[in-house]
Amino acid sequence: MISTSIKRLLLASTLLLGSVWAFGQHQIGNGRISGDFGFNGMYYIPDSIIGAEPVDSKVRGNAFLNILYSNGGFSAGARYEFYMFPLIDFEKIGYQGQGIKYFFADYTNKFISVTAGNYYEQFGNGLTLRAYEDRQLGIDNSLLGARIKLTPYKGIHIKAVWGIERDNFNPYLGREDYVRGADAEFSFGEIFPVIQEKGFIARVGANIVSKFEKSSTDILFDIQDDSLGTVTGVIPQDKVPQNVATWAARATFGYKDFRLDAEYARKMNDPNITNSFIYKPGEALFLSATYAMKGFGIAASFIRADNMEYRSQRWMNQNSELMINCIPAINRQYSYQLIGDYSYASQPNSQIGAQLQINYQIPKKSVLGGKYGTDITFNYSRFHDIDKQPVPEAVENGTMTGTMGYTSSFFKFGPNLLYQDVGLEISHRFNNKKWKWILAYNYITYNLEILQGHAGMMRGHLVASDLSYKITPKHALRLELQHLYTKDDDGSSVYAMLEYSISPNWFFSIGDDWNYGNPDPAHKTHYYNIACAYVWNTTRIALNFGKTKEGILCVGGVCRAVPASYGLGLSVTTSF
Amino acid sequence: MKKILTVILCMTLSFSIFAQEAKDKHLAKLPAVDIQTLDGTVFNTKDIQNDGKPVIISLWATWCKPCIAELLAIADEYEDWVEETGVKLYAISIDDAKTSARVAPFVKGKGWEYTVLLDVNSDFKRAMNVNDVPYMCILNGDGEIVWQHTSYAPGSEEEVYEIIKSLVKK
Repeated sequence: MISTSIKRLLLASTLLLGSVWAFGQHQIGNGRISGDFGFNGMYYIPDSIIGAEPVDSKVRGNAFLNILYSNGGFSAGARYEFYMFPLIDFEKIGYQGQGIKYFFADYTNKFISVTAGNYYEQFGNGLTLRAYEDRQLGIDNSLLGARIKLTPYKGIHIKAVWGIERDNFNPYLGREDYVRGADAEFSFGEIFPVIQEKGFIARVGANIVSKFEKSSTDILFDIQDDSLGTVTGVIPQDKVPQNVATWAARATFGYKDFRLDAEYARKMNDPNITNSFIYKPGEALFLSATYAMKGFGIAASFIRADNMEYRSQRWMNQNSELMINCIPAINRQYSYQLIGDYSYASQPNSQIGAQLQINYQIPKKSVLGGKYGTDITFNYSRFHDIDKQPVPEAVENGTMTGTMGYTSSFFKFGPNLLYQDVGLEISHRFNNKKWKWILAYNYITYNLEILQGHAGMMRGHLVASDLSYKITPKHALRLELQHLYTKDDDGSSVYAMLEYSISPNWFFSIGDDWNYGNPDPAHKTHYYNIACAYVWNTTRIALNFGKTKEGILCVGGVCRAVPASYGLGLSVTTSF
Repeated sequence: MKKILTVILCMTLSFSIFAQEAKDKHLAKLPAVDIQTLDGTVFNTKDIQNDGKPVIISLWATWCKPCIAELLAIADEYEDWVEETGVKLYAISIDDAKTSARVAPFVKGKGWEYTVLLDVNSDFKRAMNVNDVPYMCILNGDGEIVWQHTSYAPGSEEEVYEIIKSLVKK
């Protein structure tokens, strides 16, 4: 078993990498072939303390190859993915298999763009439709079908899509669901140039998206009856909506350095497993206001989402699988090691919150600013669940299933705090430009129960320092130090990481995350990591050895679980 | 198993020789993809140009620390670079809906003089076959890609400047 997996991984990777060189930027007539390749593999070592379980094949890896052909307005491409023995976190979310799951042909000119095959698309802020990929998270929600984009007049953009959403490596054949939609946008500044000349931005847009999914079974659920005890309730097959529509309207207004964006979306009744099969319509509101001038910027945003989880299949509740839309997590995202596990994940069915960020640069050549200025960033965000009052029928049945569910007061914050972050970051370069220092403080409150499924709240203070020193023009050192102080969850941790780089090719680093405050003495573990990378133009080869803590990985408010692991990793990416 | 590997190796070697030849003859140009300006107006990447002078393109994001370090390092020198070579830097952000509204305040807050564009759906990133940010490429006066690089190590901006200077001398 072990040797089979190694052999097949090796073979697949070699084949893919081989074709990279084979195709390497070929010119065919006026056309051009380009592409990219990626491999991410690991040799796993069991470790009972951190909870790294023995895995059936110790050597695992993800590999893919993109090939793109373009010739004037025509382009075509395909991606082959080999995830037969994927990294264990990908196996856990069901991203396992192999094949060409992405291919397309596209023709674009000034007025029209036609795509057949797989494509990624987003309407507005993505409240109704966002077909996208995130390779790190194992998300690929591309649509397989057709798309037309029209620009009938400068500043007017119309899009129409039809497609079946990709579901990991499961076959498209036999699927009984599809998505279709259309979006129109009018950019008045382009239509009437005088608006733009006067410094105004004015844009409106609207869209409608509809998903079809065949309904072929009754939905059964429990009802608590006062006299009969538990009885079975039924949503008959013909009462389950086969078509679920969403629509959204958006507007952007701006004048000089000020800008306001607003989008409102509404979803028709969509009983599904994530909302306990209720018939209540969903809605979402996203507001964002920004003001920016040289050396100063302020951005405030607000979001409310109620029952807006929108998937191709009503029984799907795994991660981001088959998600049609994306309700953005608007909090500031950090890359600090110690709070990675406490990154806020967007809650499309129930969240209300706001975010404020202020950037200020103490001017260059001033006393406090020094020669290169000092950057200060302040951040505040707070998210709650929404207010929910069960409808009388739901109270009577002891379940919301099959009813209108609940009513919700629009601007009222719900009883549960989900996430709060107060942060300050100062970045300064010293006069000889050799030293650069970033110092940050964050106070984070994170609802473990709702966001991770284990009891309690995590309240923690993080202090982080990131110091860079340029030894010579090509040699540089970077030292990261972090301390998370908390009495909750796994307790306090310290982290130190030293990186040495030789520009432009070499990177070396050594780091340790010590969970010294773990309430269980046996788990006061050192999660160390040693890494080195070689970069040559667009090729990067990296090796690392160490332990990874069990936790969550978030990219842009979308998160997935990461199991504990210990071992040797290799990653290769290249493009041509 | 060994046989298969040998065959593949021979194939790739022979192909790569041809590929190299092709590479020398034709330098690739930028793909034409619709992205956005900071105010949300549609902008086609074929319109990236600088009147026959070199162009630097950086793909970055507000959440990408090395990207910001690289753009900060260049920002210190940028005035001198422009004066001496007439180079223009396009900083194309791949921030999506969640964070794209914060790009403008971020850039202004840092006082950057770059031309900033938004690739909210990663269409340009895909068309350029870019795996990860930071990614940087340099175009010569004819809009041909002469140099590409991923990731950032302090000091690599010197290499960028050397290449730009050599392009202007030609």
